[in-house]
Amino acid sequence: MNALIISAVFGVIMMFTGIFVKQKPVTRNIAIAGVALLLLVNILEMSGIDFFKVHTAGFMLFDRFALLFNSVAFGSTLIYFILSAPDMEKVGHYYADYFALIFFILCGVVLVASFQSLLILFLGIEIISIPLYILTGSNKRNLISNEASLKYFLMGAFSTGIMLMGITLLYGATGTFDTQFMNIETEGTSALVIAGMLLLFFSMAFKVSAVPFHFWTPDVYDGCPTVFTSFMATVVKSAAFVGFIRLFYDAFGSIHDDWKLVAAIITALTLLVGNITAVFQQSVKRMLAYSSISQAGFMLLGLLALNATSKEGIILYATAYSLATIGIFAILLKMNDHSFESFNGFARQQPLLAGVNVIFLLSLAGIPLTAGFLAKFYMLKATLESGDFLWLVILAVIMAAVSVYYYFRLIQAMYFKEGDGNAIEVSPGFKLMLVIVAACLIVLGVFPNLLLNWLYF
Amino acid sequence: MVPVLLILIPLLAGIASFFTGSEKTARFWALLASLFTLLVSILGLTILKDPSYLAFETSWLGSLGSSFSVKLDGMGQILCLLTAISYPIILLATWHTPHKKANNFFGLMLLTQAGLMGVFLAMDALLFYFFWELALIPVYFLCSQWGGERRIAVTFKFFIYTFIGSLLMLVGIIYLYTQTPGNSFAIADFYNINLPTSEQSNIFWLLFIAFAIKMPVFPFHTWQPDTYEQTNYATTMVLSGIMVKMGVFGIIRWLLPVLPAASYAWGDTVSTMAIIGMIYASLIAIRQNDLKRLVAYSSIAHIGLMCVAIFAETESGMQGVMIQMFNHGINIIALWIVVEIIERQFGTRKISELGGLAKKMPVLSILLMIVALANIALPLTNSFIGEFLMFNGIFGSTITKYNVVFMVCAGITIILAAIYTLNMIRRVFYGETNEITANAVDIRENEKWILIAVVALIFIIGVYPQAILNISSETVNEILKEADITPYLIGK
Amino acid sequence: MPINYYIILSLTLFVIGIVGVLTRRNTIIVFMCIEIMLNAVNLLLVAFSKMHHINQVATNPTAGTEAQLFVFFIMVVAAAEVSVGLAIIVMLFRNTHSIDVNFLNRLKH
Repeated sequence: MNALIISAVFGVIMMFTGIFVKQKPVTRNIAIAGVALLLLVNILEMSGIDFFKVHTAGFMLFDRFALLFNSVAFGSTLIYFILSAPDMEKVGHYYADYFALIFFILCGVVLVASFQSLLILFLGIEIISIPLYILTGSNKRNLISNEASLKYFLMGAFSTGIMLMGITLLYGATGTFDTQFMNIETEGTSALVIAGMLLLFFSMAFKVSAVPFHFWTPDVYDGCPTVFTSFMATVVKSAAFVGFIRLFYDAFGSIHDDWKLVAAIITALTLLVGNITAVFQQSVKRMLAYSSISQAGFMLLGLLALNATSKEGIILYATAYSLATIGIFAILLKMNDHSFESFNGFARQQPLLAGVNVIFLLSLAGIPLTAGFLAKFYMLKATLESGDFLWLVILAVIMAAVSVYYYFRLIQAMYFKEGDGNAIEVSPGFKLMLVIVAACLIVLGVFPNLLLNWLYF
Repeated sequence: MVPVLLILIPLLAGIASFFTGSEKTARFWALLASLFTLLVSILGLTILKDPSYLAFETSWLGSLGSSFSVKLDGMGQILCLLTAISYPIILLATWHTPHKKANNFFGLMLLTQAGLMGVFLAMDALLFYFFWELALIPVYFLCSQWGGERRIAVTFKFFIYTFIGSLLMLVGIIYLYTQTPGNSFAIADFYNINLPTSEQSNIFWLLFIAFAIKMPVFPFHTWQPDTYEQTNYATTMVLSGIMVKMGVFGIIRWLLPVLPAASYAWGDTVSTMAIIGMIYASLIAIRQNDLKRLVAYSSIAHIGLMCVAIFAETESGMQGVMIQMFNHGINIIALWIVVEIIERQFGTRKISELGGLAKKMPVLSILLMIVALANIALPLTNSFIGEFLMFNGIFGSTITKYNVVFMVCAGITIILAAIYTLNMIRRVFYGETNEITANAVDIRENEKWILIAVVALIFIIGVYPQAILNISSETVNEILKEADITPYLIGK
Repeated sequence: MPINYYIILSLTLFVIGIVGVLTRRNTIIVFMCIEIMLNAVNLLLVAFSKMHHINQVATNPTAGTEAQLFVFFIMVVAAAEVSVGLAIIVMLFRNTHSIDVNFLNRLKH
């Protein structure tokens, strides 16, 4: 509850900051302090110190899973602000408002991660989406940004409609919006429940961009100003996944056998399409957009398995994926153009940045000793524990090997190809932060329990 | 303590090496570290033999049932010794080869060594997988950055190949893990798994493909000649001398004892694949004009024989594999040293462009002659005893019906090996000199002494193989006991 | 009246909305179709609310009210969405002088 209220308050504070504070660094520092405060109060809440004792009337449930994910989301946002906030200046004039919108999105993230009633899920998804439509279109004079924004908006509104119909049908069958008390029978499930569940499944698949509902993703991620793509592809996407898992864990866990196959097929398609299309991309930004689809495929494995391991796995995956992607985007933002060629000879110019970039890419590809490996490992383990999906696991690892192809292309460009690249200037603070992120990835890759123990103690 | 040191010394030295300055410092630093590792390895064989020194275990990833558990058993001793001996040899032999960004080069080399040591020492499946990859990543950078013109594409192929293999192995490992009683990755628990044969078969292939790609066995070998050809010599020596042993080692430690029924069921198939590969590789080697590719194909043939001997599952065959793993490593490194000397002097590796070197380079020709004879397993050389034991094992195998066929086919490849090796020597070292070879000078001091040391090793092991056989005999018996298939046969 | 009629009516409206979104080219019309979808949901929610109320009123006098609350939330959110959506459309119109969805194909290189 702490984080929810404070993030809403900070959203408003940032809007006023836009009026009263003219210096951009000050605005930025207020925002960074705000996220740091959010992270702090959330950790306090995990240790049992709750400032706002609000009775949520069964609408929300702040369990360890939700709180831990909130911490991960706030931590990633903090890192994102420190690394990339200066780059938001280039997007448009309304600097403080961007931060305000991001704080509102964080508010939605908290709702989605800790909902118990479907009403809160719906509100959370909308509170995330509406500011994102604005951020996507924030580069107002740029046609591509306009287009991405409109496309995102239409797709988002459409999938919300589908989700609402799902919720309604479910309500018609069960008489409640509370996911804990739906009591869906294993035998003789009514048609309304099945239809409602499928609609919810599809709309959530839209939000996490699972194939075949992914077609908006590459265009929107590509058109969106890069600095916001970074946020959208990481924190927002992980939040949608956490909501997805929570919904299906609580409401539809009892009829797992009925939807397992659908989930398996969608997972397989997502892995296949995401990875194979990513291979053919010429721009790093677009490659990362497809890579976000393929990583979603791995996270879907956690949904498919639906056991304790998959809950741990999704937290670890969200962390590993968010940190690595935010890091790569931060470096990408400093480049003049986003093609693979622009990274040629990067290692000679910026050995340190190239080095940490390699760690990010290795983590995304799932090489041991990085958090990305253990994240994938948890997902595979969860799937194998749930039984009879050996074929999917084998497909997943083969696709992981395909993903090496496009991640390592960047490494090849940086290290083994000669070229001037583009000369970039970065501050020592930026470098230090990236090194810290890379160190986090490696530490989590060796001792994942530093993070996962928070789920239990 | 000893196994931890064996991993930590190269690991830390490797990381430190990235921060050293000049090429010379980096070189000395790497040599120092590798000599120190060798010292520890020898101490582990001689003075610190007490089991408490040779094993180490501490908790790590407790919730997953994995622990940091390393142990030096007989097979581990042999392979760690091979790794430890090879590194100083490689570093000294390439002492005069210039490397751009030498600190990175030697750093990555040492990291590879740490990964290799870890693979040979790990007693926990997840740890094994970690080190397996840790050995691969630095090699990717080594091969991509230092080597021939096509190195980037070729290395990428190699990397993707091995990465697919290792991921499949990961699936197999996790599957086995879910079958252990208390969900554990410890090797002892893996040995106790009793799966039905059909399930074992699926897992068998998941694991075997990873090992087969690494060795490489016949249909999975296509990455190897290209990679050896394009890579710089020091890395090639590591790849062919030590890294291919990872595959052999993996089969012996993680495949046979864990999945005995499937190993029995598929043993003949695997042996057939290996035999096909041996004959095929030998035939290609005969027609090869490029020295590097010739050695590469000859390596495929040798490894194939080891594969057949392993699946014969006899004590003598297994002992032969143990000693041959060591010998093959030493011999092939010596061959690479010679090829490097030739390429550095004449700027070509084409056999057809060389000739008459014996007159100009007498020392090199004598040393090469001995190494080459060891490569075709002449008596008194180290390989003789290894191959003899392996043939003996294959012939005496009770586990396959086709042992005579396998032995005859493998015997043919020995003859083929003699043909291509002696032919190569004849064309390169004898005959007339031409304008390329006319101004040849004999080898440098460091190369001479290194080759002499290797030749000495070849003879010592050839005359007194018992030294190595004693180390490994206990492990061999243990593994054969675990791999025993009688319980499964009674079940039928 | 049996609940089935309401379900059929709402689903019909909903499908009309979906078909409209997928086939129409004018952004404003697409937008209207999304609104039709939302309103179909509202209608169905109210109908279900009444149904659950009648069924359970004996044990729980407030049964079914939460669905009507939900309707208000949907209306509020839809309003918010409309304001942002129209702003985006206006922005696009300023840049291109068109509100045709076909325009959206530019991003696919």
